[in-house]
Amino acid sequence: MYGRKAFQLVKELASGEKGQLTPYNSDLFDQVTAECSQHHLELQSLIRKIQEEGLDVQTTRNSEHYGSLIHHLSLVRNKRCLMAYVYNRAEIIRSLIWKVGPVLPQEIQERLSHTEEEYFKRHSAALQSYMSRLDLDLTVDMVPPKDPYIQVRVLDDIGVVLSDDKTTNFARHSMHFLKRTDAEQFISRGLMEELTD
Amino acid sequence: MAGQSDPHQSLFSAEEVEFIAEDETVEIIPNLRMDALNFICGDFGPFFPQIATQVPLWLAVALKKRGKCTIRPPQWMSVEKLTQVLEAERDSQRMFEQLPFHYVEISRLLFDHARDDIPDVYMARSLIEDIRDVRFHKVETNLETLTERAFALKINNLSAMEVNIVRPFVGRALQAFYKHDSLELIPDQERVSDRRPQVANNATRRHLRR
Amino acid sequence: MAKFYDMDDIITDEEVVSVVFEKAACGVGIDPSSETDSVEVGSKVELPFWLAHELQLRQAVSMNVPTCFNQKTRLEIQADSACVDLRSRCPFFYEFGCKIAPLVGVRTIGPLLLSAFKSRYKEVLTKAHTAAFPAASKHLTILTKEETNLYEAAQSSMTAFKRWRMGGPRFQRASVLGRKRKSTD
Repeated sequence: MYGRKAFQLVKELASGEKGQLTPYNSDLFDQVTAECSQHHLELQSLIRKIQEEGLDVQTTRNSEHYGSLIHHLSLVRNKRCLMAYVYNRAEIIRSLIWKVGPVLPQEIQERLSHTEEEYFKRHSAALQSYMSRLDLDLTVDMVPPKDPYIQVRVLDDIGVVLSDDKTTNFARHSMHFLKRTDAEQFISRGLMEELTD
Repeated sequence: MAGQSDPHQSLFSAEEVEFIAEDETVEIIPNLRMDALNFICGDFGPFFPQIATQVPLWLAVALKKRGKCTIRPPQWMSVEKLTQVLEAERDSQRMFEQLPFHYVEISRLLFDHARDDIPDVYMARSLIEDIRDVRFHKVETNLETLTERAFALKINNLSAMEVNIVRPFVGRALQAFYKHDSLELIPDQERVSDRRPQVANNATRRHLRR
Repeated sequence: MAKFYDMDDIITDEEVVSVVFEKAACGVGIDPSSETDSVEVGSKVELPFWLAHELQLRQAVSMNVPTCFNQKTRLEIQADSACVDLRSRCPFFYEFGCKIAPLVGVRTIGPLLLSAFKSRYKEVLTKAHTAAFPAASKHLTILTKEETNLYEAAQSSMTAFKRWRMGGPRFQRASVLGRKRKSTD
């Protein structure tokens, strides 16, 4: 059936968990665009047929007209599915910067297409320059903190990190007392955990 | 990170409701001498040892944490008052007792930070838990009576946290009712070719519940 | 156009309806029973809703009531609406019903949706707030997408409240990263 592949593309993205990215399916995407070209060709040939019979394309309602109509509708449907696929993925990709920060972990990076990687890079660069002009980090947690510092445990070897004025060695299993805003990114990337009493 | 608080889920997170509640005033008895504090939200103090004064909850908790004051628990938090409230809540199937709008948040903050200032703290705590459970159960019973005739729901004396918990559900459910109710006015056969189902203009026969 | 990018709306539009062609169409491969690449007047074909809808607007086909809203299913649903497995009939039962009702001119679909929703949402509410996870999961499999959303809305605000009451760490590993990898000591 027409449009079935495009539907599968959307379905694949929609059936993933909310806000989760499925790997970019370039294979299926290309198949759908090929289907679109095919519809376009058949649409054109049907219209040509109408013209060859000396009929007015605008007003004729013969079987060629309804055939071309079906191709046209299928094209529009395919286009909608493709655009929804790209659009919804772009929306998730934009949300990543607010969830894991400007550096994407490997496991997410490999689910993006090249254009999407580029999109993410430019989007985060735009956001960074906006924030530096504002002199305000907009990506930090929105809940008002009770205490500006928190206790954390390091879960993975992060190595030496420079923050504010001093360098700290975040060796695995070491515990630190950090500014919340400094710790946030490490925690959301799964490299540290917050300790509470 | 900012993306961790999900704005789609509900209008406020529980932490934000708590933050708002921290502006409620409580009475403290300072044990230090300190000049008046001039904040954007108002002026507080001056503070003299053993002389009670009113401050916002966040300031009270901050002073308490540093051992600079004792907090006087509000009247409604006494075991006697809470027992009355609990009984009244249990007696009525529909009505909600009048409690401070932020009673859930205030009581949690005080139980967390000023346990030693509250008489019968364990009793008071379990009473508040019970009251909350009874009330929440009533809210649920109330919500089970939603119908297509109601496009809004009014429950008196509900507190901030209680509203916040049910808001996402109620919003969605009412929306669904509204949407499916409009279908009653289905176009007749001759209007079948209309592009869109007619939006029902039946607001007049809708009314607020209670 | 508001729903142009809405994936749920796209998926709803893929529901199959059976139509009868009132105009012939050629040069298309949509009728599997036809040997040629054309559809004759009077052929009965199963089409996705997005196509059937547009063709009906142009009086090229006439749409039949889909199985999930026909007389038989309607009676089944009305008999035991709270426990009927709507998801297997149509995961977007309500949304599809809203789309189809004005097109097939069946006046009973609207009241059917309403009465089904009315008797089912209470169960969703109580399960979301009380039931432990494994007990609720069986109930979840019979819910439509809209009901699942409703369940999740109620459930997540309740869990968020409970988490706040218990206290604990504010920050957690971002959920986009999945739940794998527990640090190996």
